[in-house]
Amino acid sequence: MLLFDIVLPGLVLGGMYALIALGLTLQYGVARVMNLSYGESLVAAAFGAVSLYGGLGLSPLVALLLAVPLAAVLNWLLYRLLLERLMRRGKDSGAQEIDSILVTFGVLFVIQGIMLVAFGGQYYSYSYLSIPIVVLGSTLAVNRLIALTFVAVIGVAVYLALTRTRIGTAVRAIAVDANAARLVGIDVSALSGLAFACGGGLVAAGGVLVSMFLTFNASMGVIFTMKALVVVIMGGVGNVLGALFAGLMLGVVETAVARLVDPGLTLAATYALFLGVLLIRPTGLFGRAPS
Amino acid sequence: MTNGASKALLWSAGLALVAALGTYPLYANGYYLAIGISILYFTILATAWAMFSGPTRYISLATVAFFGLGAYTAAVLGEAWPWPVVLLAAAALGALVAAITGLSTLRLSGIYFVIFSFGLAEFIRQLVIWYEVNVHKSVGRYLFSAVTQDIIYWQLLGLTILVFAAGWLLGRSRYGLALRAIGADETAASHSGINATRIKLAVFMLSAVFMSVTGAVMAPRWTYIDPSIAFNPMISFQVVIMALLGGAGSLFGPVLGVIPLVLLFEVLTATLPNHFSILLGATFVLIVMALPRGVIGLVDIRRRSAVTATRGAAPVRDGSGPLLAVDGVSKSFGGLCAVDQVSFDVARGQIVGIIGPNGSGKTTLLNMLSGALRPSSGTIRLGDTAINGLRPYQIARLGLARTFQLVRVLGDLTAAENVATAILFSSAPTASEPAAETIRQLLDLVGLSPIHDALAGELTYIDQKRLELARALAPKPRLVLLDEWLAGLNPSELETGIALIEKLRERGTTIIMVEHVMDAIRALCSHCIVMNAGSVIARGTPDEVLSDPKVVTAYLGGADA
Repeated sequence: MLLFDIVLPGLVLGGMYALIALGLTLQYGVARVMNLSYGESLVAAAFGAVSLYGGLGLSPLVALLLAVPLAAVLNWLLYRLLLERLMRRGKDSGAQEIDSILVTFGVLFVIQGIMLVAFGGQYYSYSYLSIPIVVLGSTLAVNRLIALTFVAVIGVAVYLALTRTRIGTAVRAIAVDANAARLVGIDVSALSGLAFACGGGLVAAGGVLVSMFLTFNASMGVIFTMKALVVVIMGGVGNVLGALFAGLMLGVVETAVARLVDPGLTLAATYALFLGVLLIRPTGLFGRAPS
Repeated sequence: MTNGASKALLWSAGLALVAALGTYPLYANGYYLAIGISILYFTILATAWAMFSGPTRYISLATVAFFGLGAYTAAVLGEAWPWPVVLLAAAALGALVAAITGLSTLRLSGIYFVIFSFGLAEFIRQLVIWYEVNVHKSVGRYLFSAVTQDIIYWQLLGLTILVFAAGWLLGRSRYGLALRAIGADETAASHSGINATRIKLAVFMLSAVFMSVTGAVMAPRWTYIDPSIAFNPMISFQVVIMALLGGAGSLFGPVLGVIPLVLLFEVLTATLPNHFSILLGATFVLIVMALPRGVIGLVDIRRRSAVTATRGAAPVRDGSGPLLAVDGVSKSFGGLCAVDQVSFDVARGQIVGIIGPNGSGKTTLLNMLSGALRPSSGTIRLGDTAINGLRPYQIARLGLARTFQLVRVLGDLTAAENVATAILFSSAPTASEPAAETIRQLLDLVGLSPIHDALAGELTYIDQKRLELARALAPKPRLVLLDEWLAGLNPSELETGIALIEKLRERGTTIIMVEHVMDAIRALCSHCIVMNAGSVIARGTPDEVLSDPKVVTAYLGGADA
């Protein structure tokens, strides 16, 4: 049935987008860092998974256990060593935003350069659990369903951590107004670092999961960054549920355009949808109305 | 050395530079000519980018959208049409796309605009790819053209001169000042009579035209063109980095970033092709960490634009009747009725006080009068004109000025420029007195003349309040709204403040003041309106209303509370 053929693969694709976007929601929404090197971190994690799978025969799901903490630590260092200084220096959020865009733009090239030196420019992929199964009449791969499950689990976990824990509440306070958070005794720079590190961990999880079913190369990072940004902004900056919803919506729309109109126009459809959302609701689908 | 001699030296150095640049292709070989071309086209792009993004701080990543459109115009039309017509077509296309996107998107700010502009470039690229694949049946195009590198160089040189001339003229005009005012505080700017949308759009289009013409000129340099070359997003990023490295806030800043970076890219690609991007990235990180204000920030020339305008508003003749008539005005936010059926009149020369507890709707009322909010119902007339529903800059030009509860000065402009902005965008132009003199008088009146060259953002709180008042008075408004202008002042500042408003009353200025300082209300106002929960609960002289039991209840709570 055509409807299921669009909706199910669309949701699976959209789940991947949501997964990719989750980390950026934390990094941009809370730590206020517009991390342009986001996609590069994702590709780096994918390369890590490939190396572990090809070299040591480790399953990507084991690679997750290694990649996530490692990426979190590296991102924490990045925040502490470079970004925090910029956050302190910028006299308003506009200046901070510009500085963080510029620095992470530099970081993007550094990571990309290292990957090019290490892996070259060719495409990589490996086969893990790419067993087709039929769900409601449409064929899906098991690895994609695993990824979708992870998205759901991680998404709910992040949502609960943000809304049900003390630290999560403090993190949300920072996302709303860092200065006010400081006034009520929240250690803004420590928690921003933590949020940034968690975002980095989520990117790594996204990269490892994506590597199970996607072919990638060292210079593809910017595509992931853009997709993640589109999803985050459509969902409303800093809004976890918004990012999940926007990711799924984007997946369904892209699949529908590919099936019904022209596969060559999927990217154009992405940007058209994105531009449209921005024009009608500049703060995103789930964002608060501007004051 | 005498002044004349140094001037002559400067001129001859300048002429020598122009001659050297103009004849460069005659003595530079292919490789150096190619570097020259790169420097020139990035100079145009970065300068055009900074023309819009520098003062407004809208970081645009759409440079390559316009550049690519220009390049494709040349690729598609280049063989069929004469070259000047092709350039004009590229310019027109750039302006058209900038107008369409600008109209819909320039109200986005901050990161939203950054991402939108990037998305726009990608969107256009995808459309071009789709068109080429499905209509032209081939992704790439070959350009067979007799245009040599020398000709490209000279065209770019001409365009460079044009972009600097345009930037220079813009910087000297009142629109340049307006653009900086918008960048500093768009709300305050539009309440000073600036049509922010139109000015942003015009400059955005101007910068897009330069970008698309550059793309058209550059197209013949590639013998083969496809969307990934013409719409390479790297170009947008490079332009931003170059402009910011040099300093986007001044006309010649970007070129200071272009030259070292183009050379650096050249050296890196030639010597270390494999590690190019690592080194490039590390350089960026270093630059941002070490040079926050760009190369030009090292020199720290804070150019003060000489404002010698000859404009000032003539008082508009009014018919009889009250200056301001507010009739049945309401404003609801969702289910909350912040202002409910408020009516009152203000006669010329009167000072009317609006008082009431916090949250009673005073500032909402003021926001409707000045156009920041649109009333849900009711009419507001200023003189003979209905102003409800007009936009802030229109109301400001009709002669209604305001200050803000939380003081809003244009922090990056000097005190004098703050006032100049308001004068230059007020209503009817008259060529009576030079504005510099008016500015001095106004700053004198509020007691700021000794520090008229200080940046507004660096003034003390009371001085910012004074400056805000001077800016409000600058267009010779018929009515001034003061929103808690006296709040937060210490006792001696309060005395100065009250004396200042008294001085305005003697000059015949009509004022509406929202205030919590009852001494000031008693001393200054002839008439008072008391608001509570969105409605007017009492009106009359200050003494009458302050002894009204309803007012006492509103402030202190009833006996049963």
